[in-house]
Amino acid sequence: MLDPAHGGTDPGARGQNGPIEKDVTLQFARVARVELVRQGYRVVLTRDDDSNPSYDDRAAFANSYHDAIFITLHISSTGTPGTARAYFYHFWSPFPPQSKSAAPDADETNPPAPAPAPPLAASGLIPWNEAQRNYADASHRLADQLQIQLAQPFSGSPAMSKAGAIRGLRSVAAPAVAIEISSVADSNAASFTAMATPLAVSISKGIQAFRPANSAGAK
Amino acid sequence: MARKWKIVVAALAIAVVVGLLSFHSLRERVQRLSQAQSAEEQARREVLAPPITTPTDVTVAAKLFWAAAPDQLAPVAIQLPLSADPAQRSKQILHALIASAPTAEQRTLPADAELLGFYVLPDGTAIADFSDALVSEIPSGILSEQMTVDSIVQTLENNVPTLRRLKILIHGQEAETLAGHLDLTGYFELNPPAEQPPAAGTSPSQAAPNPPPAARTAVPPPATSPAAKSVPAPQSTTKP
Repeated sequence: MLDPAHGGTDPGARGQNGPIEKDVTLQFARVARVELVRQGYRVVLTRDDDSNPSYDDRAAFANSYHDAIFITLHISSTGTPGTARAYFYHFWSPFPPQSKSAAPDADETNPPAPAPAPPLAASGLIPWNEAQRNYADASHRLADQLQIQLAQPFSGSPAMSKAGAIRGLRSVAAPAVAIEISSVADSNAASFTAMATPLAVSISKGIQAFRPANSAGAK
Repeated sequence: MARKWKIVVAALAIAVVVGLLSFHSLRERVQRLSQAQSAEEQARREVLAPPITTPTDVTVAAKLFWAAAPDQLAPVAIQLPLSADPAQRSKQILHALIASAPTAEQRTLPADAELLGFYVLPDGTAIADFSDALVSEIPSGILSEQMTVDSIVQTLENNVPTLRRLKILIHGQEAETLAGHLDLTGYFELNPPAEQPPAAGTSPSQAAPNPPPAARTAVPPPATSPAAKSVPAPQSTTKP
């Protein structure tokens, strides 16, 4: 599942040289789709026009497929031009409920131990805003594999992926990653066109490296 | 012929000298303009938000985290009178984070952003209420939004050790995202206990003794949220 971020009345980041994030992300997704289909994957885009599905619409669309991988594509307005970053959503344990005596003010040197995560599937259902929780480790692995591949054509990129509270990933019940390319501020349409194929190849290689460890499901 | 070349060389030399003088003058004017803008901004801020002082203020070397590179924060030590009260101390720290950025390039929060309120609950939960400018004037993108939140989180946890988690509000309301990307519906972990599970495992940033909040994300709100929907639980046999 490829998700070109923004769209419609939400242009996303806008560069002085003309590029608009919503157009570039759609261009990237279409080129990546060609490359992934060539590798035998079934590829679906959350939008293939200038529409702007909500975060929940995009997540619901992704969650309607089994054995999916969700990759949302973004362009930043800051950062070193020509670099790429892969992000995964990381849930910390819920903040432990504390008794009055265990409050931080009572004993600053002995912070209370974190409470275990609540069972999410006790009712057979996962809270919508926690749908990504059960896939956190898989998303982290996928992000790392993608970042390794991105770091080669996009020199100057970080070596490893990063955790980030990316809203668009939170309700996706599948391995989910955000990729952000820098940046609309310093790149023009031609430079983004030149990035599309290396990005597509990196995504394809990253998914191929991730799949054997994640699932034996069909492509 | 020789006379013609002499004239050309002389003309070029004059042009170079004039260019250098003009460049020097232009640079000085830009610097003066920049200083004037900075002074004007500082004066405006002092009028709008007078410095917070409390009886327990002690001047210490506070560590404020500003941008050291397009994707990197670094601490800068500045002398600040800070209160012993966690809420007042946090206000003083965040006001300085907004108002005292050494350069425009190091700024992580918009110059027009204001801290409207800061509250600390007995369980260590901090609530920071910022003005709309934090949302409307921040550059769009995951990277810039994460730098802003990381800057706030790292600055608070390095100067107010009793805080345990942070909720960011915009003009008194919960915002879905900061500027379209970063989730603000949950809580950001502050000063996590050492035995906190290293969920981000192999990330180099988490290997550090005090991991930068590039690896820190929102703790979800209670699952009993009225807006909560649900999706079927995954099959454990086919999913990790």
